[in-house]
Amino acid sequence: MLADQGLCGWRVRSEIVLPELHPWQGDPAAGVDLVIRLGAVPDRLDNPIHVGALLQIGEDGACRHEIEGVATFHLDAAARVITVHPALSATDPAIRAFLFGTTFSLLCYRRGLLPLHAACVRVDGQNGPGVIALAGPSGVGKSTLAAAFRRAGHQVLGDDIAVLRIADDGIVTVLPGLARIKLWGESLHGLDLPSDGLERVTSKLEKFILPLDDAGSDAPLRVRTVVHLGWVNDPRHGEWRTLRGMEAVMQMSGNIYRHRYLARISAPGDSVLARAARAAAGIEQHLRIRRVQDFAGLDDLVARLGGLDARAGV
Amino acid sequence: MGGYYWIASYPKSGNTWLRLALWSLAHDGAVPDLGDDRLNQVPICCSRMEFDNELAVDSSDLPPEQIAALRPRFYEAQAARSSEPLLRKVHDGWTLTPAGEPLFPPHVTLGTVYLVRDPRDIVPSLAHHAGITIDDQVASMERPAIILAGQAQGITMQLPQCLLNWSAHVASWLDAPGRPALVQRYEDLLGDPVAALTRIAAYLDLPATAALIDRAVASTRFDRLQAAEARTGFFERPRHASTFFRRGRAGGWRTSLTRDQVGRIEAMHGAMMARMGYL
Repeated sequence: MLADQGLCGWRVRSEIVLPELHPWQGDPAAGVDLVIRLGAVPDRLDNPIHVGALLQIGEDGACRHEIEGVATFHLDAAARVITVHPALSATDPAIRAFLFGTTFSLLCYRRGLLPLHAACVRVDGQNGPGVIALAGPSGVGKSTLAAAFRRAGHQVLGDDIAVLRIADDGIVTVLPGLARIKLWGESLHGLDLPSDGLERVTSKLEKFILPLDDAGSDAPLRVRTVVHLGWVNDPRHGEWRTLRGMEAVMQMSGNIYRHRYLARISAPGDSVLARAARAAAGIEQHLRIRRVQDFAGLDDLVARLGGLDARAGV
Repeated sequence: MGGYYWIASYPKSGNTWLRLALWSLAHDGAVPDLGDDRLNQVPICCSRMEFDNELAVDSSDLPPEQIAALRPRFYEAQAARSSEPLLRKVHDGWTLTPAGEPLFPPHVTLGTVYLVRDPRDIVPSLAHHAGITIDDQVASMERPAIILAGQAQGITMQLPQCLLNWSAHVASWLDAPGRPALVQRYEDLLGDPVAALTRIAAYLDLPATAALIDRAVASTRFDRLQAAEARTGFFERPRHASTFFRRGRAGGWRTSLTRDQVGRIEAMHGAMMARMGYL
C-alpha cells in the first residue's frame, strides 16, 4: 500500500502513484478523506441528469468521466471515492492529467469549494503573505506566467486549478494543491528551462511536468488578487485595469473551472454565480490584464504584479 | 435544437469581410469597431475554450487526432443546447475525422456559405498575412494539407485545423453531402457587394431589407475598414502582419507575382481554377 498523501488538506489514500501530491503531514490519527482506487466503472450512471459525450452526472451527484484510450473516472455520490479504470498502464501520467481535471473540479465543488481555472503564486507583501491567482482559459499563458514567477523566486502553489474556500467571514483562501506546473516545450524554451529529465503529460505531446518541490504542503493562504488574463495581438488593445462590482463577479464566474457542469449539481441558493459572487467580494483586488503573449515581457509583468501587494498596502 | 451555418473558406478569401458585414446586418447597419474583440457575430468553429467547456475536457492534454475525433461531439452538444442557428467561421477542409465520420456533422448542418478566391490573389495576400515569402506561400499551397494552430510545441486559443491545399479545400466543401453550399466568389463580392450580401442573407434566412443591406455594405466598405484599422487596429490582425486589410482587390497578382510563380499555381490548381471560372 502506498503512503497517504495530502491534497487540499485532505488525507488521500491512493492506489495510483501521485507524484504531484506531498506525503501526508497532518494528524497521523486523522481519517482518510479521499480514496483513489483502481477498479471497474459502470457504463451508465443511474438516473443521470446529464449524459454528454465524455461526462455523465447522476441525480445523486456521482459522476463518470471517460477519456477514450486513457481512463474512465468515477466519483461516488458521497464525493469520497474516485475509481479509476485505466485504458493505459496505471502509472501513465496522462491518467493523472485527466484525474486532476474535470473529476477533481466536481469533487471540489461537491465539497463546498470553488475550483478556479487559475495558477497561484505567493507574494509576500507588507501585511504578510498573500496569493495572486492567475486566471483564464487554456492557452492564455497561466502556467507560463506562474513559471516566470517561480524563476523570479516566488513560490508557485499550483497551476491550472486553484481550489478556493470561502470562509463564513468572507475571507477567501486557496487550499494547497498539486505540486507541479504543466508546460509546453515552447514555454520551457522561452523561459530557458531545460526539458531534460522532465516527465511528459502524455507521450504524444511536447508538454512536460515541472515538479514543484516547495508547493502544496503549506496551510491555506489568503487570495488577495485575482488577475483575469486575456491576450491581444496588437499592443494598442492591451488592458490593465481594476474590475469592480458585477464586472469582477462576471469575470470570476467565467473563470470557474467547468462552470457549465458545476451549475448542474448546484443546490438552490448555492449556484456557481452565487459562489463566484461571494468569492469575488472576499478578494481585495481583481485585475483585468490583456497583453501580447511574448516571453520578453514576462519578467516585467512578474515584477509589476509582485510589487502590487506592497504598493496597494493590502 | 439549433444547427450550424458554416462560413467556410480558404484563408484570405473574404471571410472576415463577410463576417463584419453580417455583424453590421445584425446591428442595424452599424459601422463595426475593429478594436472591439466582441465582434463575434461569427466566431471561429474551433474555439478551444468553447470545446473544453462544452465537452468538459482539457483539449490541451489531448493529442490532435483525439481532438479531431471529438469535434463532431462538440458540434452536436453545442447545437443541442442552442435554439437558434449558429454561424461559425471555418478554415478546415470538409474532412473525415480519424474515426471516419464527417468533422462537420451533416445532421447539425443547416448550410454552408463557401467563399472562393483566385489562388493567384490569395498567394500574395496570405504571404503578407503569415509573414513568409511568396515562393514559400506557393510551396505551402502545393502541399496536400497544412495544420493551422498546430500544437507541436504549444497551444493557441484555437484547436488545430486541417487546411487542405486550395484545390482540395474548394472541392471538399463543394462536394460535401447535404444542402449544397452557396458558393460566393470573392471577386463578385467586390464587384457587387449588395447583390452578394442579399444572396447570402437569403441563404442564411436572415431578415434583411434592401435598405439594411445597403447600410451594411456602406459600413464595411474596404476603404472604411482600412481607415478604421489604421485608427484603432484590428483584433484579428496577426502579430507579424503590419495590417489586416491590405488591398482588397482582384487581379493584383498580375503585378505582384512572377511568371514562374503564376505558372506553378496554375499547374497545381488549374483544374479547380477552371471550374471556378478563373482560367
